[in-house]
Amino acid sequence: MAEISFPLPDLGEGLIEATVLEWLVSPGDQVERNQPLVEVETSKSAVELPSPQAGKVVRTFGGAGDRITVGEPLIVFEVPDNTAGIVGTVPKDEAPTRRVRLSAVLDED
Amino acid sequence: MSNSVLGFRQAHSPEGQAHSPEGQAHSPVAVMSMQQALNRALDEVLAENAKAVIFGEDCGRLGGVFRITDGLQAKYGEARVFDTPLAESGILGMSVGLAMAGFHPIPEVQFDGFAYPAINQIVCQIGRMNYRSRGTLPMPITLRVPSFGGIRAPEHHGESLEALFAHVPGLKVVSPSNPHEAYHLLKYAASRPDPVIFMEPKSRYWQKGEVGLANADAGGGSPTGAKVMRAGRHLTLVAWGAMVARCLQVAELAAEDGVDIEVLDVRWLKPIDAQALVTSVGKTRRAVVVHEAPLTSGLGAEVAQLITQGCFDTLKAPVERVTGFDVPYPSGDLEDEYIPNVDRILSGIQRVLEYRRG
Repeated sequence: MAEISFPLPDLGEGLIEATVLEWLVSPGDQVERNQPLVEVETSKSAVELPSPQAGKVVRTFGGAGDRITVGEPLIVFEVPDNTAGIVGTVPKDEAPTRRVRLSAVLDED
Repeated sequence: MSNSVLGFRQAHSPEGQAHSPEGQAHSPVAVMSMQQALNRALDEVLAENAKAVIFGEDCGRLGGVFRITDGLQAKYGEARVFDTPLAESGILGMSVGLAMAGFHPIPEVQFDGFAYPAINQIVCQIGRMNYRSRGTLPMPITLRVPSFGGIRAPEHHGESLEALFAHVPGLKVVSPSNPHEAYHLLKYAASRPDPVIFMEPKSRYWQKGEVGLANADAGGGSPTGAKVMRAGRHLTLVAWGAMVARCLQVAELAAEDGVDIEVLDVRWLKPIDAQALVTSVGKTRRAVVVHEAPLTSGLGAEVAQLITQGCFDTLKAPVERVTGFDVPYPSGDLEDEYIPNVDRILSGIQRVLEYRRG
């Protein structure tokens, strides 16, 4: 297994920090990609941050009311070693199915 | 085939021992994925060459989005394994400066589609500096590029750029097809005084295979040139990267129909081992070349010409190409339609088998 840390992303508009309103997941939870992780509030708005990936939550940083700076750790996931990167999926190594058959007279001249 | 004929220059440092044929009898073998094999190769390169440095987007703390550089920053420190901004032109520009200053940069472009922003540095600087400086400023750069499709990724995350790179004078281009090749070809590339574009087939990162840690070729030989992955009598399938595994599957299917296929892994796309092509097709007298890249001006044309040049008198049919289509490399939902599948390759084989001189 490998741990992947996800920092608070740049939320745009030049904002450099956000305040945690409510965690929507807890350590031990298995989350899916794009599942809402946490609600945070900036000086502009309150937003739900979607999970960048699937995985098991190992740690979350900051409780309700705590301020987190952009780029600082927000959450750590545990993922199997054979998990794909930030995009894509691990292809299945399965036996191919065929429709085309070969027919040839193989003269050995 | 000798190194000089293939265009490999002598390294400034002595050749590594990893591919010494002497180690064959008792060579240790480990089963690992290509991911792990590449990680191990980089670990050993950093340990053996104090001038080697690794950098790219997420290569440091995260260990790479495909985990190829996993654990290396912790082991070798932030001065030798580090993260860069999202700026491929900067990653390759910095590589030029580091190479001039005597380092061996091993940069990563996170996905092949992001090599385009760096193309000026790759073509106009890295490819030419040795030539421009009359050999006083070699560019010992090993550029790792996770390449090709097969992982259902969005646009820009799966391309097939080998013909683009191979066309640039001064660059060498290689693509491993399995963990054993990945380990040895990366170690070899990182020992060279010349820039090498190292195209990692990302759809093969997770498949495991045996890696002979002491020798590059189980049957002897060298890490340069092409390699016969399966011997056969009736037809040669020529491929590289992820398509080698598919061609080996096709060879098994063809055997059910009584057709004995040889699979030649080209490995080095530049310089291409013309002698190996001619030796194989000189024996089988039929050839099909398979690649993911679009047909037009793809490397399949180069392969077909080299075979035709060397085997014209004995070929039983024109060399057939089974390739991607002349469209942008599609995103994941369409890649099964785009990448040559076993039926398209079998159909190409059938066309060659059916051909009769008119």
